Amino acid sequence: MSGNQEMAERASEAETKSQQPASTPVDYPVGPASDFPPGSHRIVQVRTQEVGVFNVNGNLHALVNVCPHQYGPVCDGPVGGEMRCNASTGWKFQWSRDGEILICPWHGLEFDLTTGRCLAPKEMRLRKCKVNVVEGEVRVSLTGG
Amino acid sequence: MPVQSNRVASDGMVVVDCDIHVNDLPEFLAPHCEMPWRKSLEILGAAPRRYLDIPGYAPSFGLHPPIPGGHSARSVNTPQAMRDELDALGIDYGILLPDHLLLFATLPNIEYATALSHAYNRWLVAQWIQAGSGLYGAIMACPQNPEDSAKEIERYAGTPGICSVYLPTAGVDPLWGARRYDPILAAAEAADLPVILHSVTVTSPVFPAQINQFENHFGRQVIGHAFSMMANLVSIMHTGVPARYPKLKIVFTEAGVSWVPCMMWRMDRYHQEYRRTVPFLEERPSEYMRRQMWFATQPLDEPVNPKHLVETMEHYGGADRTLFASDWPHHDFDHPRGLAKLPLTQEQRRKIMGENALGLFKLPMPNRLSKREIHSA
Ligand code: FES
Repeated sequence: MSGNQEMAERASEAETKSQQPASTPVDYPVGPASDFPPGSHRIVQVRTQEVGVFNVNGNLHALVNVCPHQYGPVCDGPVGGEMRCNASTGWKFQWSRDGEILICPWHGLEFDLTTGRCLAPKEMRLRKCKVNVVEGEVRVSLTGG
Repeated sequence: MPVQSNRVASDGMVVVDCDIHVNDLPEFLAPHCEMPWRKSLEILGAAPRRYLDIPGYAPSFGLHPPIPGGHSARSVNTPQAMRDELDALGIDYGILLPDHLLLFATLPNIEYATALSHAYNRWLVAQWIQAGSGLYGAIMACPQNPEDSAKEIERYAGTPGICSVYLPTAGVDPLWGARRYDPILAAAEAADLPVILHSVTVTSPVFPAQINQFENHFGRQVIGHAFSMMANLVSIMHTGVPARYPKLKIVFTEAGVSWVPCMMWRMDRYHQEYRRTVPFLEERPSEYMRRQMWFATQPLDEPVNPKHLVETMEHYGGADRTLFASDWPHHDFDHPRGLAKLPLTQEQRRKIMGENALGLFKLPMPNRLSKREIHSA
């Protein structure tokens, strides 16, 4: 558990570094980083919005819990991988990127957690939020990530 | 200004008809058929038959009595007759498909079906394809024997006048798209020959031809072709044919076009939900349709307001994906004039009436038009 926490912190520190400093929009604290170990996901309330916070391989991703399809609670869905089958897989089914794909519980649309993009209609995407860890606390900003 | 009665809507534009039918009686094919099946065709040639209904050759499983008062039963027996009739209709080029062998896929005997497909293709090339006649041929695929059929496509690829591959669709089991047919599709793609799906009304125990509950031919005719095209389109998509054969061009005939948006939208919708089961479809099904598929007009959907048909076409790509077909000489053929009432721009009309087909089947601009261009230049 503490290992996970460390990883999460390390990962989010790296993320924090890559994000712009100072004058960032308001961040909302949503819980200690230890509550978001790799492979976990939780739905948190940020003002009036529900936001899903996912730890994908040590990187935190926050997505508004509204599916662009029919506005279902997309972040309630399971996280899986991407099924692929094309010339590069020799037209064999291949399961890849396990843990990086969110499946909406309503109609099964799949979204790439790291980009928010839908795997089927690629122009459909989830709204991403900025997320970082400050002094061991996960902070989410509703103004985009 | 004098009006040429047969060219009202299409005057000055090339008219290519991607679905006309040759009368392929067993006695015509017999001399071209390998032994021992030539013997079968000779017997069939002497057997009594009904129009487009010959047991063991064209088993339509017709359940209906002849319509009181009769019904049209035209057939065309010679290339000259076909040429004359197309001239009268104002059609420059026609792509020849069979009459009886529209029911070919229902024949269960593999050796017989293979020999019959060879005989049809030999006969077609020997008797019907003549340079300058404007009659082009589709090599008949044999779904009963995909490996042999692939060789047959290779054999005829490059034969002058052969511009496509006919996929017998009525009663085909399993449907086109099943992986056992991959050799046929691979050969067609390699030969750069578009494939043409053509069905016909048939009552058969295979999906979706179990239409025996319909009391009359009205019901079976309305259902038959359209359900066949819908089922085959979905089958072709569900095994990823357009993704696996990205250069394959696929033409759907004789079901009108109004069914197309319905299936397209349903596939797009369920592609979202079941993408993991069809991961080879890396784009929406409609994207593949807009890139690799064409839809023939006949039998023209005839809404009271013709504008509604044009709007319906627009959903799947409109004039770019639509081909004129007459289905001459069959009972529900469409005269090119039938499309005159559609509110299309001249450019859209040119594409649908012939220019799309010229590009798709790689046909030359007919002399009457290239000459005209020279005159006006
Ligand atoms: S609401 Fe998310 S898949 Fe339909």
